[in-house]
Amino acid sequence: MPDALERYDVLRTAADAEYAAWRNPERPRIDVALDQSSITNGALKTRDALERIARERNAVVDFGRVHGYGMQWVHPTVQITFPDGATVLYGPVREADAAAIIDEATGRWGAAAALRLGTITGERPGVPSIREHPFFALEPERRLLKNIGLTDPESLNHYIAQGGYRASARIFGRHLSEEIVRNTLNDAGLTGRGGANFPAGTKWGFLFGAPGTEHYLVCNADEGDPGAWVNRVVMEGDPHLLLEGMLIGAYGTKSTAGFIYLRDEYPLSIARMEAAIRDAEQAGLLGDDILGTGMSFHLRVIRGAGAYVCGDETGLLASISDERGMPRVKPPFPAARGALNKPSNVNNVETFANVPLIATHGSEWYREMGTKAQSGTKIFSFSGDIVRTGFMEVPFGVSLAKVLEACGGIEGGRALHAIQPGGPLGSLVPASALDKLILEPASFLPYDAMLGGGGIVFGSDRNNVLVLAEMFAEFVEEESCGRCTTCHGGNQRKTEIIRRVMEGDGRRDDEPNLMLIDKTIQFSNCAHGQLSPKSMRNVLQHFHAEYEAAMRGEDATLSLKGATRFRVAQPRDPRVEEAVAICPVAAFRGTPGARTIDEATCIHCQACTDVAPGAVVREAKPRAPRMVPIG
Amino acid sequence: MPLETEARAQIRALVAEFRPEHGDLLAAMHKVQHHLGYLSREAMEVIADQLNLFAAEVYGAASFYEEFRFAPPAQTNIRWCSGPACRLKNGGGIRDALLATLGVSEIPADTEDGRVGVILGQCNGTCEIAPMVWLEQHSTHRIEPVGSLNAARAIRMARALRDGSTVEASIEEARRA
Ligand SMILES: Cc1cc2nc3c(=O)[nH]c(=O)nc-3n(C[C@H](O)[C@H](O)[C@H](O)COP(=O)(O)O)c2cc1C
Ligand code: SF4
Ligand code: SF4
Ligand code: FES
Repeated sequence: MPDALERYDVLRTAADAEYAAWRNPERPRIDVALDQSSITNGALKTRDALERIARERNAVVDFGRVHGYGMQWVHPTVQITFPDGATVLYGPVREADAAAIIDEATGRWGAAAALRLGTITGERPGVPSIREHPFFALEPERRLLKNIGLTDPESLNHYIAQGGYRASARIFGRHLSEEIVRNTLNDAGLTGRGGANFPAGTKWGFLFGAPGTEHYLVCNADEGDPGAWVNRVVMEGDPHLLLEGMLIGAYGTKSTAGFIYLRDEYPLSIARMEAAIRDAEQAGLLGDDILGTGMSFHLRVIRGAGAYVCGDETGLLASISDERGMPRVKPPFPAARGALNKPSNVNNVETFANVPLIATHGSEWYREMGTKAQSGTKIFSFSGDIVRTGFMEVPFGVSLAKVLEACGGIEGGRALHAIQPGGPLGSLVPASALDKLILEPASFLPYDAMLGGGGIVFGSDRNNVLVLAEMFAEFVEEESCGRCTTCHGGNQRKTEIIRRVMEGDGRRDDEPNLMLIDKTIQFSNCAHGQLSPKSMRNVLQHFHAEYEAAMRGEDATLSLKGATRFRVAQPRDPRVEEAVAICPVAAFRGTPGARTIDEATCIHCQACTDVAPGAVVREAKPRAPRMVPIG
Repeated sequence: MPLETEARAQIRALVAEFRPEHGDLLAAMHKVQHHLGYLSREAMEVIADQLNLFAAEVYGAASFYEEFRFAPPAQTNIRWCSGPACRLKNGGGIRDALLATLGVSEIPADTEDGRVGVILGQCNGTCEIAPMVWLEQHSTHRIEPVGSLNAARAIRMARALRDGSTVEASIEEARRA
């Protein structure tokens, strides 16, 4: 009987042939980047236009698909791969640019010169390597993202041809001890990427040692932090990397079944993961008798339904088990009681995605990147008031100031005001910390802050820090499961107070009350409650002057309702009538040429300043010095 | 056991593939809502029956999640992104403008004629086009992202939808400078 590795080699030979033909195609091939971001930016329309023009012209060209390379601000992007294997990246490619791309691909080199972003592989005279783009200045080497742009994410064979599933075949074929597999992860220093940073190999050991034969391996793909789309990139960009990580995990934990709990906001991730599972099963890499070893591992995707606390592992396990997805107190830990009340282990998508890399290259290779305290690389997503929104994979320890530089700095010539890492349970860090922060969990601790799952939002001085604080307050209040009065009621109270301060009705007692709420919420069952006061605490710690100003009804950013008003500055400007027409609450008074705004009616939506900037202005509310009431 | 109506039989067929104690509840609820638009009392009873649960347990679970509805949805829902990148670009003002335009007071809500609703959306990592909303057409299951909004564009779009324009025409309103 052939062993696992021999069976793998058969798969590999076929995959290599298919991939070689894709890499060096006979005819030029246009790959449209299709991922959630690209599609949102119109990639399907771009693809339709390209295909239509190719048909009309009988162009000698093929079409394919890749995942976007990371530069989301120039989406939609396409790649042309020429018969010599060179691949050039273009963006943004709109429907109107389709003809130029077809021309460029079919012999009229230069037709799409203005859209070129760089080469992904191979060379083309006059086109720089994409690696030279400033956005990638901090990526010495792509590891988790190594297949992005170089494979079709929906092709199992492409993944295999890049060496995929070899590490798992080797482990099964050589009957490597499960302990060695787990120790390799710990030697590498792989810790959970879902926030708690627990050593992955150790956690696997808990499930391995759990009683019974029904062990469930669970992937947390809930990625609920707004501003984070790290897991999405893995699932849409290289789904088999996650599957292989889970397959090795099944071996290391003695699991025969597993779940991928995937948020409903990621329909393409759901589709790609489900297709990847089917393909892997058909190839004998998943399901029963994997690679002839007799080992079984059955995987299913569970579609979430929009509940943030289902990202907490106990909430997630309840949700899988047909219950309300409410977090509960630990212990019992998942290894004792998990999915369907059976011993389980939960890891984040990116945690699993690291496993095949470590199994392939070893722990020493892994530790080449990162810092002493935190080895390896991590995918981060960057958004907010920056010039370049997108994702990149950087070694732990890079400087945040350099990251902001790579992102093109703050847009509109404004200044950085607040840094928001780690989502709603994360933090608000002042701009003054930028130069001291590195992307490593420990670096954020002195600011009572948390690096978190990989989303980092940069806010400019266009907004008061309370705008973000209120957003997160509302979020954690909405998403509280309601089990603990501390969390449920405390967060309601906190939101009310923040809103009141923003509306210019702050009281002296608000700060001590916020601090009291903070202390009280610590007595909540799960980390959702316990971490929920963090961002507001950060405001009081790091932005105290701004908070105090808001208490007085002042706001240098002119973004708070209580401190600003809208006023017709140039009544004779004809655009004022457009402002009158757009106002959703009919707040304008008077006749054309003599318009005023009724402050009591105005809801501060900014529609008037959108259509008549300068003619209508938002300005500081003139007010007598305010006596701040106590209670 | 209540009488087997035609509606019941239809739901029963929809959930026939699901099993008790198998982690199938979410999938069953998703499938029924996809086909019927919402989870009726009858649907929850049938799901409960299929999965060996009490109907109260099904409702208890369903009502926990943002996604499940217990009444038919509006013809078109405006799913407003509540994420941070959108908020930094006047997402809050856009929300207030949408609510005022449709004459409703909070999310979620539908206009009285059931034509347009506003529901809560979560960031899905397409923040490069912040601030954004998604237009979800119930009858076709079509979802159209509408990005690079401002309050004025959002108001024009919502007015068009409110007054009976198609999704396409309403998006055109949002794109106008
Ligand atoms: C409210 C809340 C939300 C969470 N959301 C996520 C999430 O979306 N994804 C995730 O991987 N972990 C999330 N976590 C952390 C998980 O509970 C758990 O620690 C993690 O999935 C373990 O995987 P890891 O060890 O690989 O990091 C959340 C925790 C809390 C308290
Ligand atoms: S802390 Fe909040 S989210 Fe967690 S169990 Fe208590 S009420 Fe639920
Ligand atoms: S800010 Fe909005 S509500 Fe106020 S006047 Fe302008 S358009 Fe009207
Ligand atoms: S914050 Fe709205 S799309 Fe990310």
